[in-house]
Amino acid sequence: MIPEQLLTDLQNAELLPAAQAAAIREDERTRPFSLHYELRAGLYLGITLLTGGLGVLLYQHLSEIGHGVIIGSMVLLMAASFGYAARHRQPFTWGQTRPVSFVPDYILLLGCLLFLALETYLQVQYNFFGSRYGLVTILPAALFLALAYSFDHRGVLAMSLTALASWVGVSIAPLSAFTENSFLSSRLGGAAVLLGLLLAGVGFYSDFADRKRHFAFTYISLGANLALLAATVSLFDFYLSSFLPNAVLVLLILALSAGLVWYARLRHSYLFLLMGAVYGYITVTYLFFHLLDFNDGEAAIMLGLFYFMGSAVAVILFFVNAKKFLRLA
Amino acid sequence: MSLKAYNPAWAYQEAMQQAAARWHRRGLLTAEQHQAIRARYPLEFYRPGLFLRIGLFLFTCIGVAGAAGFLALILSDVVSSSFLKVLAFLCAAGSLAVLEMSIRGSRIYHAGADNALLYCCLGWVTVLFTGVVYDVIPVASRHYESLGNPYLQLALGPLFVVFLVATIRYADRLVAAATYLLLLLLVVNAALQVPYGQALLPFVLMLVAVGAYWLVRQLHKRPDYLYYRSCLTLLEVLVLLTFYAAGNYYVVREANAMLSGAFTSTQIPLAPVFYALTAGIPLYYIVTGLRRPSRIWLLTGLLTAVCSVATLRYYRSLLPPEIAAVLAGVVLLAVAAWAARYLRPERHGLTSLPDDEQPPHFNLESLVVAQTAVVPQAPQPGFEFGGGQFGGGGAESTY
Repeated sequence: MIPEQLLTDLQNAELLPAAQAAAIREDERTRPFSLHYELRAGLYLGITLLTGGLGVLLYQHLSEIGHGVIIGSMVLLMAASFGYAARHRQPFTWGQTRPVSFVPDYILLLGCLLFLALETYLQVQYNFFGSRYGLVTILPAALFLALAYSFDHRGVLAMSLTALASWVGVSIAPLSAFTENSFLSSRLGGAAVLLGLLLAGVGFYSDFADRKRHFAFTYISLGANLALLAATVSLFDFYLSSFLPNAVLVLLILALSAGLVWYARLRHSYLFLLMGAVYGYITVTYLFFHLLDFNDGEAAIMLGLFYFMGSAVAVILFFVNAKKFLRLA
Repeated sequence: MSLKAYNPAWAYQEAMQQAAARWHRRGLLTAEQHQAIRARYPLEFYRPGLFLRIGLFLFTCIGVAGAAGFLALILSDVVSSSFLKVLAFLCAAGSLAVLEMSIRGSRIYHAGADNALLYCCLGWVTVLFTGVVYDVIPVASRHYESLGNPYLQLALGPLFVVFLVATIRYADRLVAAATYLLLLLLVVNAALQVPYGQALLPFVLMLVAVGAYWLVRQLHKRPDYLYYRSCLTLLEVLVLLTFYAAGNYYVVREANAMLSGAFTSTQIPLAPVFYALTAGIPLYYIVTGLRRPSRIWLLTGLLTAVCSVATLRYYRSLLPPEIAAVLAGVVLLAVAAWAARYLRPERHGLTSLPDDEQPPHFNLESLVVAQTAVVPQAPQPGFEFGGGQFGGGGAESTY
């Protein structure tokens, strides 16, 4: 209905010959309806349900089914998944591969999740890795990293980074700040900041050196978010002594935010601009209220409210002109 | 003064550029023609990408909150009685004025900042109306917190009118959704005033949904349809959801218990009818979505199908959850993998290849994987695995 009106207007404006308009009408009518994203979501949901259900089943029926049967069947399933994915693997390049179908991608993901379930089971049941807990997490991290690069899979890369973060002892998942209240004690804050900086650095490297450039987003978004979140949390943590002086933290956050804004400017990426602006704003606000003397009572509150109004207007103006700002690069 | 706050030509320019870009991607337009169309119908408004819109929305809210706090500080010295109402009125009027001026001045069009201002304004109006009605009605009725409170109409009616006018003027989809919800609340409230109203409520709501659907289809035929396109899309989803929810066994049974003030729900009359509706409506939506084809119907159908399964499992647990999860996972995986292969390149007007209607601009998937993948956690210091079967990494049980 919309295209009809638009096509008529284009024809009247003599921007479109009648034959071409007819071709467009025909295409609008016969164009197939894409179920691409629905099917991908279905595959992903199926994989998570399957591995989640299997994981629970393992613990609940340990005594009823033989261990050998469970381990054997899961190893078989995992091998089949990896085998299927390997059969459909595209040759390695530092660029982005163009696979024919997206199903092998998800089968690879299934294999990786099965590996995790199996490894956890072996450790819990047989104490397979003994007390070398580090090995339990670094092993999947290393394996998934290798798989991510050889199969060109961003999801497996994200899983590898998650495992790496859990080796360090922190959670990297984007929403963990809301789900785990005590996710960063100050003891781990330093490690989290370091890991975050490292990941962001790898992301910048992979972009600028053109080594899997499309991985840069995953690296930078997870890494920068982890570092900034950890630094911000320990900035506001009044109870635990911080691993770094607050002044250093403030400088670190501001520098990293500026780095994100600079990168956003380079790559025209609004997400990183938003991240840099929000973390930077939180830190500047912290500084402002830290320096503000509340002994003045009402005047200080007034000043604080003025700060919110003024700073909000300033940031809005920055955003509105962001397009100009981003294109300048 | 025009009824529409934004220039209706902006909606047209946006639709034209979207369509031209799509045709160009599909190779139906040459690059020169695409350029000519872009030059002939330039975008004269300001709307940044999604993340900047989120940023604009957030910081506008911060600014409005700061201004409201400032105003409250001044008012608290001047006005003592009805402080909140005066504040609400001033804030609503202020937000509205800034909104109108920024649309005129900066030509923003659903750019985050104007959405935030509109929501703030309507939020303050809601506070104002609720405050006024609260003072007017008899004291005994003030704390009768039920949908059946007859005085609720006094607040809902004017609010509905205000939201309707705001929808017509600003064509904001969330405001349109709120207007529709207000209408539903009004209908529920009216139905509860009459005898047998509660028993007939599901059917009344289904009738309202059918009527609203007819109205949405009629509005699609209007010449200014493009201006309200996003509103009508969301309304269509809500109408489909209302129709389903009004017939869903869980909703009917639990709402019935809640309205009757019972602590446990009991079997409802005409239960077989609601069983059939719960099972049948999602299937009908999905089939219609695939045949028409319409993504709205399809996705709503899938969502309601999940709700129907949840309803079934709530009253009759057929299988233990973990076995159900494994089976559902296998079935889902098999069906999706088969369909991906079967629909390549296309069959029956359906395809599993990506559509070039919308270019993917954000790599969401890797973040979702990072969010849901469970990696064994390193144990806390001082915690040993020991002998227990359930030690350590049993984190998979979150599903």
